[in-house]
Amino acid sequence: MTPPGQPSKRKIIDGGLITLLIILLLSGGAVLWKFGPEVFWHTLLTDLGFVAVLLPKVIGGVLLAVALGYVLPRERIMALAGPDSGVTGLAVAMLAGAIFPGGPAVTFSLTAGLMASGADLAAGVAMVSGWVLLSANRTLIWELSFLPAHFVLLRVLLTLPIPILLGLAVRHVAKRRVAAE
Amino acid sequence: MNILIGSILIWAGAFWALARVKRDHESELRAVWQISLDTFLFMLPRLILGMLSAGFLALLLPEEFVQRFLGESSGLAGLFIASVFGALTPGGPFVAFAIGASAIKAGATLGAITAYVTAWCIYSILRIISYEVPMLGAEFTRIRLIYSLPVPILLGLLAQLVM
Repeated sequence: MTPPGQPSKRKIIDGGLITLLIILLLSGGAVLWKFGPEVFWHTLLTDLGFVAVLLPKVIGGVLLAVALGYVLPRERIMALAGPDSGVTGLAVAMLAGAIFPGGPAVTFSLTAGLMASGADLAAGVAMVSGWVLLSANRTLIWELSFLPAHFVLLRVLLTLPIPILLGLAVRHVAKRRVAAE
Repeated sequence: MNILIGSILIWAGAFWALARVKRDHESELRAVWQISLDTFLFMLPRLILGMLSAGFLALLLPEEFVQRFLGESSGLAGLFIASVFGALTPGGPFVAFAIGASAIKAGATLGAITAYVTAWCIYSILRIISYEVPMLGAEFTRIRLIYSLPVPILLGLLAQLVM
């Protein structure tokens, strides 16, 4: 099977981590200065406790996100999103974007491949939108770790039709343009 | 409680997916463990730093400011402000979600946070410049961005209606 495009080796220390460290030092320092050591330590320990409570969920989320990439037959699914596949094709493209793991390089090359195999611009937009808005990797790993579960669930449910609607809008305008010419 | 239910659901999903991998692609199981471990080690320091920052930022964010611009009474203008902030937030998901978490603690509505998160997802500028335009072209990117323009505010409004 094709290797699900997980980034193979990421640097543990990179710009993102350093940015975060600077934010932490500045905000922690400001709290210490403004509210005193008692509030500082209380906040620090409360949040460390919160991380500890979250850890089982985080580990489960990582395993689910990684394993999911191996479970789904990628080629067969992409074939369903080909030309003339209608609304179903848009839905499949969106789900492919949302569920196949991998960073931007992987998702954008899959999208380019999809359009090269004959799918229209609308399917490409649905796929990229599915990925940017609903990426299972990001939602399961990051969003659920930081934000309340009911918020994440509701956001995902409300967002589900959006990539399909965007695809339909792109398709509609393209048709009108062809008709006008 | 919320965390417990979420954890159980996610572990159920993880067991299901792992069982499927074991059944259909047993040779890949080692890779699944290895990638999961790498991912976990990558995120652990970010999770700790992000959570601690979120806690401190929530104390520092002026509550009146957050409630005035992103709270109950902020309405459409609040959703708009949240969308602009989201589009302008640089960095990885841990930065955006940590900021969202502290804004919730400081009194922002879930509608405003929905708009914020959605705008951040759509307009992440680094990703657009370094991946989307080179790989899919400027025309594709332009069309996607223009059509997506109303999405953060629309979802924010819907979220405010439902939550």
